[in-house]
Amino acid sequence: MRLKGTYLGLVLALTLVTMGAMATHGQVAVDSISSDSAMVETGQTVQEPVVVFSDYASRILARFKKSPLLITILYIVILYSILSLITLLIIILIHRSRLKREQKLKDNLLERYQQLLMDYLFDDQKQEAAFNELNTVAHSRINRQILIDQMIDLSVNLKGEIKEVIQALYIRLGLQKDSLEKAYHGKWHENVKGFRELAFMNIRDANDQIIKSLNASNDILRMEAQIAMVRLSDGNPYEFLALLEKPLSLWEQVTLHELQIQHNLKIPAFKQWFHLENISVVMFALEMVAWYKQRGVGKEILGLFEHEDEHVRFTSYKVCGEIGLKMSLPAMIKRYPEETFKNKLEILHTFTKVPDEKHLKFLKNVLDTEEDVQLQIEATKAMENTDEPGISMLIKLIKSKSEYKNYQIIIRHVLDGRIY
Amino acid sequence: MERAFEILKFFVLNAVFIITAMIFTAYLILTIFSAISLRKYLRKNSYVDYNSIVASPLAPSLSVIAPAFNESETIIDNIRTLLSLYYNNFEVVVVNDGSKDDSLEKMINAYELEKVNYYFDYRLPCKRIRGVYKSQNRSFKKLTVIDKANGGKADALNAGLNVCRNELVVSIDADSIMEPDALLKLVKPFMEAKEKRVIGAGGVIRIANSCEISDGHIQKVNLPKKFLPRAQVMEYTRAFLMGRMAWSELDGLLLISGALGMFDREIVIKAGGYHTNTVGEDMELVVRIRRYMTDNDLDYDVVYIPDPLCWTEVPSTVKVLARQRSRWTRGTLETLITHRKLFFNRKYGKLGMLGYPYWLVFEYLAPIIEFLGILWFIFLVITGDLNWPFFLLLFGFVYFFAVSLSIWSVLFEEMTFHKYERRRDVLRLMGTAFLEPLFYHPLVMLMSIKGNIDKLLNRNKWGKMERKGFGKN
Repeated sequence: MRLKGTYLGLVLALTLVTMGAMATHGQVAVDSISSDSAMVETGQTVQEPVVVFSDYASRILARFKKSPLLITILYIVILYSILSLITLLIIILIHRSRLKREQKLKDNLLERYQQLLMDYLFDDQKQEAAFNELNTVAHSRINRQILIDQMIDLSVNLKGEIKEVIQALYIRLGLQKDSLEKAYHGKWHENVKGFRELAFMNIRDANDQIIKSLNASNDILRMEAQIAMVRLSDGNPYEFLALLEKPLSLWEQVTLHELQIQHNLKIPAFKQWFHLENISVVMFALEMVAWYKQRGVGKEILGLFEHEDEHVRFTSYKVCGEIGLKMSLPAMIKRYPEETFKNKLEILHTFTKVPDEKHLKFLKNVLDTEEDVQLQIEATKAMENTDEPGISMLIKLIKSKSEYKNYQIIIRHVLDGRIY
Repeated sequence: MERAFEILKFFVLNAVFIITAMIFTAYLILTIFSAISLRKYLRKNSYVDYNSIVASPLAPSLSVIAPAFNESETIIDNIRTLLSLYYNNFEVVVVNDGSKDDSLEKMINAYELEKVNYYFDYRLPCKRIRGVYKSQNRSFKKLTVIDKANGGKADALNAGLNVCRNELVVSIDADSIMEPDALLKLVKPFMEAKEKRVIGAGGVIRIANSCEISDGHIQKVNLPKKFLPRAQVMEYTRAFLMGRMAWSELDGLLLISGALGMFDREIVIKAGGYHTNTVGEDMELVVRIRRYMTDNDLDYDVVYIPDPLCWTEVPSTVKVLARQRSRWTRGTLETLITHRKLFFNRKYGKLGMLGYPYWLVFEYLAPIIEFLGILWFIFLVITGDLNWPFFLLLFGFVYFFAVSLSIWSVLFEEMTFHKYERRRDVLRLMGTAFLEPLFYHPLVMLMSIKGNIDKLLNRNKWGKMERKGFGKN
């Protein structure tokens, strides 16, 4: 491991060089300092001191005025460094104390809110008192924010009627005003908070702003808008996909997928997005087809084999393997010679996942003609997966003396069950 | 003669001023950029839920490659830590680089390994692979051990690249401790990529000396008790939180630490893998993959993450530190020479116009200039030409500026990750900032000079890194 970026090196280096190099210049400079000092000692100054300064300050100022520019700069930098050192030390110490204090306040409030929320939700007799107290405690913006966070945390783990009670309490306390304010705020990080809170509390008043943010240039804001749209939709949670102009990153795809699983959302027929120009959305739809095993999409997927984007074709081949689409294998054989290395590998991988002895000839041909070991291994694996006919062919190959030597090593590798 | 001396003085005087002004300006700019970058990162990541990728089937597959040489003492615990990292789709490939101790036997016994009929091709150059080991125990199914003839770290990493098959590779030092969520954080930039392909990502390396460690995890972060490692904490904090963060923002990052880096396997292989004839294989790889992308007109990004992702033990003796720094200097020089074509080459954008020249002038040449400065200083003292009052003024100027930079980095640490919880540790770290330029820095400068001499004399050894071992601090 190595480390670079040590700033001090050159600074000190140059000091030393400068210290030496400045000898001549320094002589002039120090002559100036000395004459300056002499003048200060004898009270002789070239200019009258500025009235607003004390006598001492005036003398310093006068001295600066007499110093060569270099000396003045050096003094200023030293002064700046010392002042910034002291300031930073103070800031660091204050920051630590503030963090401690804030954490303590937060812990206290959380404890109090938790108790009050429990009373409100589960104790009818204490409900009104709890409401009044919540209303009183949440007087400041920071206290309300802690309360909103606490209510969201609570609602994540709750379902049904009780969740609706929390949402109603949120409105009754007027907290949605804070969230709406954040949703329409000029700063993206405030928007993110606002969208999140509104989505959790199922409030649709800022949907126009959320839809507008679906194509925002800020990644986080865009993702939060997508999440909010999924949460706030009644029918098709992914209908916003057709509105996306920017690519849907893998990170966003994972987040949407996790949201679907966590909230048990209604699963749409993902093939409806196969035709979109936004290829990242097409790939996401393909991945979802595989995940939810939506098998009635054979024809549509075969159409994607001709897609101009190699990543879309790659995902199409992958999905065929995942959903066991045997009908796709002849089309893949046709595509194989024209494909990129990565896609060739994926095609062979699909043959491993969807074994079919009818295509042993194709696989044997790959083994014979391809130079790349990974392709050979993948073809051999696909042959092995066809069970009896494939394994017999491999055993025959391994025993064959006339065959190319590599076969034996490759086949031994593939037949070794200890290699996952 | 006198005339020549006058000319020399005049030249040094002017050149030094220009360079000094450039450096101070550069430091200030880097500090500002790193502050912007840190703020952006922290704000952005405060909304991120990493749990969504822990088990996601959509997350890319990873291979963690850990070269090991004579690490018998720690290898079993370290592998256990690696296997327990939070991620779903990953494998751990440990490369036993011809260890002379009983590392391999220990691994075979502890993880029930068996030699398998693994077929690999030497698509990247590496020494002979003697065998590949896997375990039949399903608990260790993510583990692959490669046994090969000794060839050095780069050679071992190439062997790992020849065997692994996943989309992304993570190179680590087997004796470092990774944070459990390190893979999640490192993989994120790759998953966020859109128009530009992310080809490499690195994170902050922190110092584990004096920390409390058990079961391969950091339990409590302490500031090292000894001055030498403590000065390195200061140095690392400054370098990682200020330097690299800024260079990442400026798209001029030339180095991802060998202790932890994630790369796009396809690109690494296409670029030719690790260079086995250099001791600076980490820097060389980053520069080469960047060059490969530019030469092929491919848009790319190299990303840096300010999160502390990995902990390592740093040298606590002058002797070991000297070996390490000599190696770093030789590695830097080798990379700069190999990729000299980048120097002010507009084709390579910020890498050629900013990153490379900065490294050459401000990183590589710095200790040499400093050393020459000392010689010049001594000469002037002997001849009586030195102006002492001016010397003190300049010394104060540079010293306080340097210390204030260090304190800025302590502030960055405090405002961001806040790893040192005890107030006493922070105060001690600040105290170290005052002492470091006086006692630690001259030492490091001399070690770097030694590195240059070693290179001139063709002494190209890696140098043994003697570690006390975690938990023995």
